[in-house]
Parts: sequence; structure tokens; C-alpha cells
Amino acid sequence: MQILVVDDDPLACEMTATLLEFQGYTTVMANDAMEATQQLDSLDTIGLIVSDMHMPLINGIEFLKMLREQGVTLPFILLTGDSPDSTLMQTPGLNACLQKDAELESTLGNAVTQALNG
Amino acid sequence: MSSSAPTLQQKLNQLRQRFIEQLPARLQQTATKWQQSRLSAEAESRLAPEFHRFFHSLKGTGRSLGFERIAMLADQGEELLKAMPDSAGHAVNDINSLIPELFQQLNEEIEYLQSQHGQQTVLASLNSVEFSSVAPQTRSKRQRLIYLCDDEPDQVGQLLHHLRCFGHEVVHFEDTESFFNAVLTRRPDAIIMDVQFPQGNTAGTETLTSLNKLIGERLPSIVLSSYGDFYSRLSAVRAGCNGYFTKPIKPLDLMLAIDELTIPLDEEPLRVLVVDDEPDAATYHSLILEEAGMIVQQVNHPADALSALDRFSPDLLLIDVYMPVCSGEELATIIRQQSAHIGLPIIYLSSETDSQKQLSAMTAGVEAFITKPVTPDELVSAVRLRAERLHLLRSLMTQDSMTGLYNHSTTTDLIGKTLAQAYREGSQHAMAMLDIDHFKTVNDTYGHLAGDQVIITLSRLLKTRLRISDIIGRYGGEEFVVLLKGVNAKRAAELIDELRHDFELVDFHAGGERFRCTFSAGISSFPNQPSTEALRLSADQALYLAKRQGRNQVVISNEDDAKGKAEPNQPGAKKQ
Repeated sequence: MQILVVDDDPLACEMTATLLEFQGYTTVMANDAMEATQQLDSLDTIGLIVSDMHMPLINGIEFLKMLREQGVTLPFILLTGDSPDSTLMQTPGLNACLQKDAELESTLGNAVTQALNG
Repeated sequence: MSSSAPTLQQKLNQLRQRFIEQLPARLQQTATKWQQSRLSAEAESRLAPEFHRFFHSLKGTGRSLGFERIAMLADQGEELLKAMPDSAGHAVNDINSLIPELFQQLNEEIEYLQSQHGQQTVLASLNSVEFSSVAPQTRSKRQRLIYLCDDEPDQVGQLLHHLRCFGHEVVHFEDTESFFNAVLTRRPDAIIMDVQFPQGNTAGTETLTSLNKLIGERLPSIVLSSYGDFYSRLSAVRAGCNGYFTKPIKPLDLMLAIDELTIPLDEEPLRVLVVDDEPDAATYHSLILEEAGMIVQQVNHPADALSALDRFSPDLLLIDVYMPVCSGEELATIIRQQSAHIGLPIIYLSSETDSQKQLSAMTAGVEAFITKPVTPDELVSAVRLRAERLHLLRSLMTQDSMTGLYNHSTTTDLIGKTLAQAYREGSQHAMAMLDIDHFKTVNDTYGHLAGDQVIITLSRLLKTRLRISDIIGRYGGEEFVVLLKGVNAKRAAELIDELRHDFELVDFHAGGERFRCTFSAGISSFPNQPSTEALRLSADQALYLAKRQGRNQVVISNEDDAKGKAEPNQPGAKKQ
């Protein structure tokens, strides 16, 4: 199983991937939603998606909606620089919405475990 | 993972490094685009999402990587941009100056982070603070890191002296900006903050408010102000400050307030001795108790329990009832037969559920009977409840109520034990007897409260400056005794003389008056003096000599002095 990490900031993308890899997961990176879609099409090993919210063209939540419309039901975790607001968190099909902060290492680890087991 | 593979910390540090390296170019690029966007409405709306994304990404990544100040500046940028489309003309003008100003501040922050010092401290603090649950404890338990932020240097000199005199590490900042950055890189134990700065009448408290908001916790802080008015005080309350002092400040009062704020009530961990013949069971129960913050030792043979009791002096004994050699009940009886352990709480741990058998076991004088398997919560609360009672009783019995130092009998007892061990190890120790000079005059002139203040101050000075392993006791009245472990008479005299020098500069206040106090000290040493009594007599004689020679000096006993005759340790010492 691989985790697809989507973020338009390459460094942020790498950081999220690093945190996940140190928790024992393997990762694939994409710098926008289009690239992410291509990865999903070519790899059938992806088991979960962690995406940034603010990205050019298609943002994280639009990307989720797009996937759900296409019938992709993979667990989806959204990362955002803001403190997550409740309406965003209640988006159907969203497993977790996490703030990018110094606690990300633990919050992300927990959210992934929960999304995969729940 | 192989040993050569980078750890998560190393990998994150590499990313931090790259973040700082890449940022100037990104910033430069964005600043240029910002200038372009100012040229036409079309350019402005075309580039707007890009700026928003820049600040937003900087905020998220900066915060995740632990660069809190960059994240905060980026957040300000994002907020400014959000306000932009609805603003009237003058707000846009503000933006025209505020955004470039933010770029400038970001640049300065990067320069700071890139500087050798900035980078090292940030990376070091990130390593230990942001991503680890336990902050490193580099200072001694009683020393504190204090940040003092005040832009009036003439007012802080004396404060700095007093705080340092009590062994605290004090860093002084003249402006809120450098103070702000310092807190983000290295958290202090307490903050002393002036309210008024050139930037504003409440700039000090505002800085505290934004800091607390940014780091999500309330930093222990005390406010200094030239004003005692309602609004100054209100700003301090809103900033979550723990104390408010109006200038001129009595340094000692401030020092005591800092102590109150930072020293938790004697929170020595509870000590538990586990006696169980099954090492696995003993380890399991020890782990549960250690997890709850207790210090645990285990013994797997009942015969070792007695010597462990003496060596470890636990607050509670946890005994397995069924052991070969002797039962828990027999062990409890043996322990209870010794007067030194009569008050020691004992808890039995057993799989025995027969209440009749439990009852008979209780007759040996145990406090509780817990049946295995025990839930961790149950074990911890049973142990804590009983051990704390003894802990408290013991501290009441062994401590002097005014100073919290050991009382006369406990001091003698502890010194006796140390000497017994010193014989076996062949180690050397020094004893210092201290006596406050002209103490009766202090009481008569300034009142007993002032006298108490002097005693408390000297005891705090001894406590904060000497090592935790040293034995510090109040022998009664204004007399103190200290056993400095592992040092000879000469070194002890040097250490005590430093304290003497600092103590004579402490200002005491009584009513409107200000006064200073001094102390004299006599030093003796082991094994020159082979017993507690001999040490005491010898130190006392030296103290007497110090008094006779004019007070405010430290004298080594002539039997301990290498030259064979008593003389002041510091020939130039000031005499009262």
C-alpha cells in the first residue's frame, strides 16, 4: 500500500511524505491535482490520499469531490495552513482535516491509522 | 532501519535547511511580482491568488517545520490580502506599504535564521522542544532561565544582580522584538516584562499576549510598570500575567515572586520499593508506577528487602504475599519490628481472593491488600494515596517550617549517614556553619518580620546556589549548617565566600527603610574531623573566630587549615 501525497509546495510535499515514511508507509508524491490523478490512474497500489487544501487550479476539497464523482473511494486526508473550520471538516467523504503545524507528525500518524482501520 | 540511515530528526532538519535556503529566492520573486501587480488592476487580480498561495503555503510549511515567527508573519500577510478587495482607497495605501514591510521582516528573519547563531539555536531548540515530548533539563533543578525585557538599563542593573545572585540565568532584552524572537527559539521559565516601550504604552503586555497566542500556552510572567493605573493593570491581566509590580521595584520582592511562580511545591517523586520473587511481575508493576512518575526499585529476594529499605528509603513498600523463603506477612512483621520503619506504608499484592486469608495477612500491619491482576489505575491510586500521606508526614517531621530546610535533628542524622558512607569510600567532605551577623539588632531595629525575611533569603540563597546533593539545614535561630560533599576545606571556603559576597549586596526593606545584612562562617572538614560532632565543634570554633575578627568573613578551622592556623579566607574581606 502506498500513500499519495499532493501538495503544490514541493518542500511541504516532501515533508509530509517524510513524516509518513518514518511511520512505516511508502509514499508517492504529486504537485497538483492533475498530476495526482495521473498517479492514481497508473498505480493501483495507492491506498490513501493526503492532500493540501490550497493549490492552484484545483484545490484539495475540489480534488476530493472530483474523485468521489469518479467513484474513487480511497480514504482522503486534507491538510491546511488554517485552523480547520467545521464546515470543511464535515465535507462528505473526508476522513480528516488537519492543520499544518508542529504537531503534524503525531496528528497525521493518528489520522492515517484511523482512516485505514476505520 | 540501518544505523547509517538518517533519523526523522535529521531528515526534518535537512528539510528545514532547504526551506531556509530556498526562501530568499521565493521571497525575491514574490516581491518583484508584487511590484508588477501594483501597476494595473488587471495585473493585480491576475496575481492575487498567487500572493495568497505564497503566504498560505509559507504559513503552513513554516509552522510544520517549527519556524513559528515566519508562520506568524505569513499569517499577517494572508490576513492583509483577505482584507484587500473590499478596502477603500486608504486601506489599499496601507497595503502598499504593509506588504513590502512584511517582505522586509521576513527577509530579516531569514537572515537571522541563516546566521550561524540563529540557525543553530533554532535547529537545536526544534530538535529538543518541538518534536519531543520532554524538554531537556540542562540547568539544575532549582535554577531558572529568566528573560527580563526592559528598555531602561539603569533600572535593571540591580535586578539582574539579585536574580543572578540566586543562581538564576537571566537574559536582558532592551526591545520587545529581540525578546520575542528569543522566546520562540528558547523558552524561559519566567518572564519579567516592562509595560511601556517606545512603540506604545502597553507594548510589553501586547507582546506577551501575541506570544501566548502564538505558542498556545501561557508563559509565567511578571509585569513591571511605572504606572499603577487601571488600564495598565488591565492590559497585564489580559496578557495573562501572574504578577504586577510598580517601579521602583524592591528586587527581593520580585525575586520571591519569581520563585513562587517557578518552583513547584516540593514535588519530589514518590519512592516505591517492590518486593516480588517473580522478576517479570516485579518489573510489570514497577513499570506501571514509573509511568505514573514514581521512582521504583525492585528486590527479588525478601532477604534483600531490609538493606534496600535503608539504601533507598522508600515512601511505600509493595510486597507480593506468596514468596518462597518467607511470606509477605512474615516480611511485613520483620519490617514492623524495627522502629525506623514503623510508619512505612505497606501494600500487599496477591492473587489471593479469600477474604479470611486477606484479613489474617492484614494483622501484620499492612495498609492495603490488592488482588492480582490489578489494573494500572488501581495500583497507582492505591500507592499514591498511601505514600503521599507518609511523604507529607515525613516532610513535616524533617523540615524547618519557615525555610523548608532540614531541621536540626534531620541534618545531624543525614550528615551522620553521609559520614558512615564516606568512611567506606574514603571520600572527603566539608562542613560550614553560618551565622547571620548582628541578627538581634535587625530584629530590634526593623522588627521580626524583617528578621524572618533575612533568614528566608539566606536559606533560599543556599538552596539555589548549592548543589542538590549538599545537605543544608537550619540549626535554629539565625544559624545554618551545610555539608558540602566531595570538597576540601579550602574549596568549601571559596564557595561559601562567594555566597557571603553576594548576600551582603542584597537589599532588604522594612517599612520605608532599606538595610543590608552579612553572615560569618566557619569551615571544618572530614576526615580531619572524624565525626559529626567533631565537625560541628571545629566549624563552630572557626565561626567564633570569624565573629571575633570582625564578622562578614569565612574562616577555616585551624585543625583543617593546611597552614595549621586559623585565618580569614579572604584577607581583604570587608569587615562590618
